[in-house]
Amino acid sequence: MPAQASIPLKLKELSNKRDLLAGGHRMCAGCIAPTAVRQILLAAEHPVVATNATGCLEVSTSIYPYSSWRIPWMHSAFENSAATAAGIEAMYDSLKQQGKIPADKRIDFIALGGDGGTYDIGLQALSGALERGHRFLYVCYDNGAYMNTGIQRSSSTPRGAHTTTTPAGKVIPGKQQFRKDLTKIVAAHNIPYLAQASPNNWRDLMQKTRKALNCGGPAFLNVMAPCHRGWRCKIDIGIELARDSVSTCFWPLYEIENGILKLNGETKQLADLKKKADAGDEAAKTKYGQKKKPLTGWLKQQGRFAHLFKPANEYVLNELVGRVENDWNNLVEKDGKLF
Amino acid sequence: MKGNEALAEAAIAAGCRCYFGYPITPQNEIPAYFARRMPQVGGTFIQSESEVSAINMVYGAAAAGLRAMTSSSSPGISLKQEGISYLVGAELPSVIVNISRGGPGLGNIAPSQSDYFQSTKGGGHGDYKILVLAPSSVQEMADLTILAFELADKYRNPVIILADGILGQMLEPAVINPSLQKIPEKPWALTGAQNRAANCIKSLLLDARMLEEHNLRLQKKYQSMSAGEVRYETKHTENAELVIVAFGSAARIAKSAIKIARAKGIKVGLLRPVSLWPFPSQSIRTLAERGVKFLVLELNFGQMLEDVQLAVNGRAKVDFYGRTGGAIPTPSEILKQIETCRSKICSINYKEAV
Repeated sequence: MPAQASIPLKLKELSNKRDLLAGGHRMCAGCIAPTAVRQILLAAEHPVVATNATGCLEVSTSIYPYSSWRIPWMHSAFENSAATAAGIEAMYDSLKQQGKIPADKRIDFIALGGDGGTYDIGLQALSGALERGHRFLYVCYDNGAYMNTGIQRSSSTPRGAHTTTTPAGKVIPGKQQFRKDLTKIVAAHNIPYLAQASPNNWRDLMQKTRKALNCGGPAFLNVMAPCHRGWRCKIDIGIELARDSVSTCFWPLYEIENGILKLNGETKQLADLKKKADAGDEAAKTKYGQKKKPLTGWLKQQGRFAHLFKPANEYVLNELVGRVENDWNNLVEKDGKLF
Repeated sequence: MKGNEALAEAAIAAGCRCYFGYPITPQNEIPAYFARRMPQVGGTFIQSESEVSAINMVYGAAAAGLRAMTSSSSPGISLKQEGISYLVGAELPSVIVNISRGGPGLGNIAPSQSDYFQSTKGGGHGDYKILVLAPSSVQEMADLTILAFELADKYRNPVIILADGILGQMLEPAVINPSLQKIPEKPWALTGAQNRAANCIKSLLLDARMLEEHNLRLQKKYQSMSAGEVRYETKHTENAELVIVAFGSAARIAKSAIKIARAKGIKVGLLRPVSLWPFPSQSIRTLAERGVKFLVLELNFGQMLEDVQLAVNGRAKVDFYGRTGGAIPTPSEILKQIETCRSKICSINYKEAV
């Protein structure tokens, strides 16, 4: 089912809406996850019920007896945010059939999880819910490690990153594996809508949220969420790092709607420049070189990659840069095509 | 040394070269320690994608004859229960560490002893027993870990170490004494069947008679564990009129309370089970026959209490005092219980909710 047109996003109107994730929660100052969640909830046009996997977002927003959620919100365990959302959505359907919820009353369901709770332990529940076709949106806020328990590697942690369980030492320079491409794993479920987004481009993230909630079936958003504790970076550069994750093509913005892959925002501009440059357009080549930021600059701002800039570890840096470049080239090829 | 780190270093001293874990507080120092140390000693550290995978990695490594372990905290240990039942069924020696926390559900990350039932009564399915060791100091975190590997191999059975956030996080001096025993030969292990008949490790026995025989053999093994592996510590029980029964971190607080009570002339002693299964029932029975009263102290709402009551079997009064959810009783709080126990009949007391 194609995503239906919805009310356009206007800052003026949005600013009059109440934040559904209240201030006063205990996420770290400078954490980007709540920013992303606020944008997502602000984009919702119908009442929302959310489930949350164990993680920073869950713990810090629900420290008993307080809750920061102005919506019905439920946490159950680490591995089953998607399963809990599936259960709630099934209940909604049943109550509707029984006439206990009016036929025209629409409620949307959002399952939230970090990369640990999504890429790793929650993958089974996510896959099951996507395959069964529940009408819900799964949002992964991806900060690239288990930050809540003290920065352990996850399958989203980039190659070479230092975490407490992939310590960078004299012999082994950080994480030895490349990260898993979860967005593409989700795409293989052939669900109506999925996207990769970043909260620096709030309009893109909110439009994607609306498309996702209106797609009539399971949807998925993978959202970049820099974490200064785990990334070992300055506390106030979260949004800049999110922006540069896009402009370095580490985290391209794209969506897959009914099987068609489409690049969005800055990613689309970069891809168009790249295509022109590859076709021999010198002006485009210069502009592409200026606009696409080098990955090393992004990595240098993060202490978790500091060891990669030692001469002995140059090969890891090259592997990481090479993989990101390769993934980017492949993605550009797929723009506008059936995934 | 932190308790969690002493435990990890002791595991290496015991010859453990395979560790499989998954993040959960308050045991994260254990995987972090192994992540650094295992490569240095030629061992393997793997962070799995879930607790279920970690326990099954232990299954694989133990089946290959290696000393393998995993660690977690209460909710994660719940996820491992299926694997633990399989380890028991397949008779695979392994060590499972629970740095337990407050429950039920996600609970909190504060110390608790509310996993006593799960550990000692078999948290998974089937008719089985697991040796459960309960350290009470950082030194014991190390010593009992080495013992756990030895007992696991001796009986071809998993061993659980049940500690809590206090023991895992606190700093105390500890000496890591290397294991004096050699790792025994494991002719049953799956090591490649060259020049020998193929080994088979499984827990599936479809024939009812065969499964019953397997279970009878396991029961015989549990009887010998029960007879030979009871461990406990006693303090001032010789002339005690009241004996506190407490394990792990609760026993440490009890010791402080006993010291104050003794100075006041109250004849109170301590019996600290070190092995929670097998439980030191006989020693408790002997004390009960002598006419002492008991005060069971736990960081839960009365789990070991049932084992004490079973051992006493009506011969003596058994009082209980418990705090839970991460609340830690103070020595003076326990002293008050000691004083009231002496003057009233059997009762069960919980701290009133504030």
